Formats: sequence, C-alpha cells, structure tokens
Amino acid sequence: MRYLPAQIALLAVVVSGTSPFTATAQDAETNPYTSRIDLRMGRRVFQAQCASCHGLNARGGNESVGPDLTTGRFQRAESDGELYRVIRDGVQGTAMIGTGTDAPEQELWQMVTYLRSLTEVADAPPGSTATGQQLFTGAGSCADCHMVNGDGGRRGPDLSNIGDDRAPDDLRTSLTDPDAEVHPRWWTMRATNGSQAHEGLRMGEDSFSFRIMDENEQLRSFSKYGDWAWERSERSTMPAYGDQLSTRQLDDLVAYLFSLRSDP
Amino acid sequence: MTIRTLTRYVILLAVLSFAAPAAAQSDGEAIFSPVTWERLLNAADEPHNWLMYNGTLDSQRFSGLDQINRETVTRLTLKWTHQIRQLDRNETTPLVVDGVMFITESPSNLVAVDAVNGQPFWRYDHPLPGDLRICCGRNNRGVAILDETLYMSTLDAHLVAIDGRSGSLLWNREVANHESGYSKTAAPLIVKDQVVTGIAGGEYGVRGFLDSYDAASGELKWRTYTIPGPDHPDNQSWAGDSWRTGGSPTWLTGSYDPELNLVYWGTGNPGPDWNGDVRMGDNLYSDSVLALDGDTGEMSWYFQFTPHDEHDWDAIQIPVLADIEVDGEARKAMLWANRNAFYYTLDRETGEFLLGKEFAHQTWAEGLDANGRPIRRPGTKPSTEGTLVAPIAGGGTNWWSPAYSPRTGLLYVNAFDGEALFFNREEEYSEGDTFLGGGTETPLPIDNYHSAIRAIDPTTGDIKWEFPITPRSRSGVLATAGDLVFAAGADGILFALDAETGEPVWHIPLGGPVNAQPMTYAVSGQQYVTMPVGNVVYTFGLGN
Repeated sequence: MRYLPAQIALLAVVVSGTSPFTATAQDAETNPYTSRIDLRMGRRVFQAQCASCHGLNARGGNESVGPDLTTGRFQRAESDGELYRVIRDGVQGTAMIGTGTDAPEQELWQMVTYLRSLTEVADAPPGSTATGQQLFTGAGSCADCHMVNGDGGRRGPDLSNIGDDRAPDDLRTSLTDPDAEVHPRWWTMRATNGSQAHEGLRMGEDSFSFRIMDENEQLRSFSKYGDWAWERSERSTMPAYGDQLSTRQLDDLVAYLFSLRSDP
Repeated sequence: MTIRTLTRYVILLAVLSFAAPAAAQSDGEAIFSPVTWERLLNAADEPHNWLMYNGTLDSQRFSGLDQINRETVTRLTLKWTHQIRQLDRNETTPLVVDGVMFITESPSNLVAVDAVNGQPFWRYDHPLPGDLRICCGRNNRGVAILDETLYMSTLDAHLVAIDGRSGSLLWNREVANHESGYSKTAAPLIVKDQVVTGIAGGEYGVRGFLDSYDAASGELKWRTYTIPGPDHPDNQSWAGDSWRTGGSPTWLTGSYDPELNLVYWGTGNPGPDWNGDVRMGDNLYSDSVLALDGDTGEMSWYFQFTPHDEHDWDAIQIPVLADIEVDGEARKAMLWANRNAFYYTLDRETGEFLLGKEFAHQTWAEGLDANGRPIRRPGTKPSTEGTLVAPIAGGGTNWWSPAYSPRTGLLYVNAFDGEALFFNREEEYSEGDTFLGGGTETPLPIDNYHSAIRAIDPTTGDIKWEFPITPRSRSGVLATAGDLVFAAGADGILFALDAETGEPVWHIPLGGPVNAQPMTYAVSGQQYVTMPVGNVVYTFGLGN
C-alpha cells in the first residue's frame, strides 16, 4: 500500500500516541459535545463508571460517600475544561480515580454535559427579591436564627449560598414543611441530670458522646455513658410558615432565598 | 493419648521452640522463623502471632491473648503508628510473625516493620499499569505467609510472592487479564503447599473463579469456576449465554477445615448487578458459599444464600468455622451473617441448612424456608423509577470480618440497618467496562442510618446483645480471651466491649475513616492491639 502524505501524517500522529484533536481538547475550555444525545450518552457513561461512588443520579450519599454533584458547585472545577480534567485525571490523594487518558474525549465531554445538566440553574421563581429580603430580616424573623453573609443568628443553617444548593420548590417545602428533610446537623439533643437539663442543636454525635449548641448558643459536650441521660429528636426546630405567611409572601421569601448564591 | 493427639503435642513443642525467640525478644536477637504449614495448622497455639488474614484457618478471629482484658483495658495507650504513603481506603489486616509485622498499603504495596516500634525493615512497591479496572477503591486487605514467603494480590490481577526477609520479588503471576475487568485485593489463604486466592470484578461482567497456585513455583494447580460451564447441569440456572458475564467473583478470603480437607469460600453478586432480567434463573453459584476439595478444587457442596440476586448482596463474608451443638446434636458448623441481612448456621460437612434468622433490618423476604431459601416479598425488584428496599446494596453486613469467641459461644457481627432505592436499566456488555444494569441511591444521607455490633447465638440465631454505633461502622471485629470485643466506628473511634454483655469498657477517637478490622499480637510478653484508621496503622498496648 502506498501512503498519501496526509495518511503518513495521520500515521505519525497515531504512532506518537497523540491526535490533533487531543492536543487541542486537552487545553480546551469549550465543550464540543453538548447536544441532547450527548447528554444522554454522558449520563450512560456516568452511571456505568461513576455511580458506585456518586450515586446513580449523582446525588452522592451512597456507601462510598462520593460528593453530591448536583449542587451547582464542584469543589475542584469551575470551567468545563477543569471539570473535564478532573474526570480524566482524578484528584490526587483522594478516592476520586480518573478515567485515565485512554478514555475517549467524546465520552469525557459528554459526561461534562451530563453533569452540567444536573446543575442548570432553575428558572427564577415569581416574587420580589427585595420584599423577600425585608421579610427575612424583618417581620419573618428569619435572621434571628439564620445567618446571611455574616449577619444573623446561629440557630439555623447559614443561608448565604442556599440558592446554590436548593431549587425554589425545595425552598418552599422547607418553609411550609420544615420536618420534610432535616439534616442530622439540625436535629436536637437533650441531656438531663437530676434537676439539670440542656437542650440544643446537634453539632456532632458518635457512639460515646455528643455535642450541642444550647439555647444560649453555648457549646456543650456530653458523654453518653456518664451521669447524663439523653435523647434525640430528629424534627426541625423551625416553625412551619405555611399558615403564617401569604402565598405572595412565600413567593417573595423563596425569591430572596433563591437569589442567595455564591455567584449571583 | 491417640496418635493424633501425640502428633499434635509434638507439633506444638516444635512450634514453641520456633516461637521461643519471639517470646523472649530483646535487642539484637534474630527474629522471624519460618512459618511452616504445621504452624499455620496450629496457629491458635501461638497467639502472640497473627499468621493469616483471619488469625486461624477456622477464621474465628479469636485470640487466646488475655493480658488486655476487662480489668486492664483502661490502661491501653498508644505505642506506635505507621503512616501509609498513599491516600486511599486503608483496608489492611497486618500479619505478625515473631515480632515482625507485615502491612499492606494502598494500592498494592507491602511493608515489613518491627512490631514493637513500627520502624521499617523493608518495603515492596508493586508497579501498576494506568488502566486498572477497580470498582471500589485502590486497596489491599493483607497477605498470606508460608515458610519465609509472603503472597499478595495486586490490583492488576496478579499474585506476587515476596521474600519475607528482604522484600524482594520472588515470582509474579498474572491471574487474569485486568483489561477485561479483573482485579485482586484480598489476602490469599495457604492450604498445605498451595496459595488459594480469589478474584474481583463482579461489576465488570467477569466470570468468577477460585485458583490454587503452587507456593514454591507459582504454577497454577487448579481453577474452579464459580459459574459452571455449559457441560454442567447447573449452567441451566443462567438464561442463554448470560453465564459468560455473570460475575460471581471471590474477592475475599476463605477458610479451611483440615479434618474435612475442605476449602470454604464465599462468592459475589451475579452480573449485571441490578438487572436480573437478562440472566433469569438462580444464577448458580453466585451469592453462595462453596466447599471445595483442598487438593483438587472439586466442589463438595454449595449453599446459595440469595438466588437470582438483584440487589448486589454478595456472599462475600468470612466463613466462620466452629464446632457447636444445635438442637442437642454436635455439629461441625459454619456461621454466616450474610449481606442479605439473614444469619445462617450451616453444617460444614454437608452444607445442610440448620437455622437462619434476620439479624439486620430487611424488607425483601418474608423469611427463610426449611432449606434456607429466602421467601421473597413481591415488589422488591429494582425498577426504573427506584424501589425502596432494605438492606442497602452494602448489605446488613459486608466484607468486614466477624469474630467468634469459644468462651462466650457468640458470633460478633457488624450489622447495618439501612434502606436504599434500587434502579435497573438495560445495559450492553462491553469487555473491560462496568456492567451494572442499574444503581442505587440512599434516600437520606447515609449517616441517618445506624450500625451495631450484634452478638448472635449461633445455636438459635437469636441476638443476645447489641452495641449501637453512631453514625455507622465499616469495621470488622476481633474477640479475645480477655473477654473483649474490639471494633470501630466509621468516624474513627476504636472501642472495646465486654464480650459477655456488650457494655463498652474503653474507647479512643482516632480521627479518620475506618475500613478495616482490629487484630492483636504479643512480643516479649507485651500484648498489642492494632487498628488501621484513616491512613494510619495504630498500635496500642498497656501502659505501666
């Protein structure tokens, strides 16, 4: 077989192990595979290769405790190119194993497309952000317990970036049915010893001890096998606001909360 | 005195004479005498050593050492630590031979240290290719030793023999092609002059097997496939050609009964994990325990815990062998708390099911029938929208070693009560790629669920006591003649329980995730307890 000049060039590239596409794609920041079929293919590859640690729907929380990838923020990557490289190379010193450089670039970009689809910002909800903010810091008394950008209380989650983590529907559910999903950090522990009692938010708990922030925001630590009896409540300490706020006020509050993002 | 008993005494005397230098170790003395097959047979008679992955061939993980006991345990103090160079899951159970400890490190490395102070003699770093197929972390669980040679599985599906005195590589055998999805993480088991070793890859559509290699030469002596070929009637338990990619790996370490000359080994999930529609049938011999002839690998019997598994409940647990009385009859029994959340007592001579009971939260079965076969509840099959089932894919327990104390007659198991959504989907097999057919998701953060060390009476299946662990545990268990049970929580708290009552008697936070199990040994009359936590191997002993 006689080789044409172009074939010789291609052969040289193949022999050297580098394709022209590879050379550009490794440095590229723009994802060339973003169609709906790419998204579907990316989901397929993700579920085959990544789901054992990150969960089938990338929400983490599985046995292997890979992080939730649907929150809108990636710890190790901001741009598509950085995300591509994390998927390919892994994260040294962690359980995150990369696919390796042998993985087809198309598949890597398709996984980027899939992951981005999980974190697309939902449509802005109806309601006034400004009115919601007034309600949050004023009549709603939300700031008594919740901190936003350094202002507010400590007896509820810091909401400075809550819009990164929660869609509007989730935020509305948190307001109307706070017990629907309570992170263990916000459970309540109660310790009693004769006439003494301390109750507070569950800062940490293990088999032998637990730590709370009490109603006076004091940090306290207790042994489970010492002099204190103890019990745990997995309910939220936040009241339900469904009956206290009008539909419009809820819309405004959700709009404000959803606007609280690390990159507004 | 029978010939057999006399022989045992002679062997014991020989063993004691070998072990004597270690028992009286002092500065500058030669240590580490060859670990003969006779020493391995009688490992319980030299409790100052930990000569195989689960301590003894019966895998009871029971140590005869009692210096650390219910009265003295509060005097435990840190003696030394060993930092592992590469960060990943630290799943090793070290061996200790006459004052030398052998620790495997991630990904496939081995280091020998002085068991008194943790300082190194040598290390072996196994070179690995860049295209490994591993489902669950770059880890290694331990080595086996015969005479002066250590045998280690490697992530590229090789078995290597390493000189115990120098760390030099003696031979290196490819067990299977890693590019097809095979890998190896488990400690081998020595049986006479053979190295018996399993394979991982159940998430890659492999066909599982158990191998035996000649310890001296590394030549393959026998291979028993865990999925029978088409010439065997049990092949009919797989629809069509699904047996070719049916998984059923052997990714942990088994046990051996020298009187019966039977090797016992658990098998893993059928593949694809969560889509059983493409492999209709019982899928023999996945999720089973196999009893194989110790010389030929020929199957004597099998018992399948979870026929046609669609929830990834590998029967990859340690076969615990104990002679107990069941219904008034002395039995050579096998005790098995399974990932499917049921506990089983089997007759290890015949495989007969003696009894079984739920030991962890489960929603998938009404119970077990008279033969030990599960009575499935409808509506528990994985689905495209997700089916909520207990236990989770990780199971009511997992590969974490249980322990059995002949002093209490109890089996100590790390149990987990949780639930998960199970999804299925269609998936084509492609060699070297994962072959799962679905996935799982826990509806709540995993720390919402809880573990417990449960003490099971193997004569009834009843739970005698439990010690709850918050938030959860991924630790194996150790039982000792000091009537203590050691284990740890996933949050890095190592603790000791009263083996009779389950009352906690000592604990220490070590500040890292736990994916291993404690072991114990002694040098120069000092008993130690070793526990890998995070990327550190901690060793404790009694303070003054």
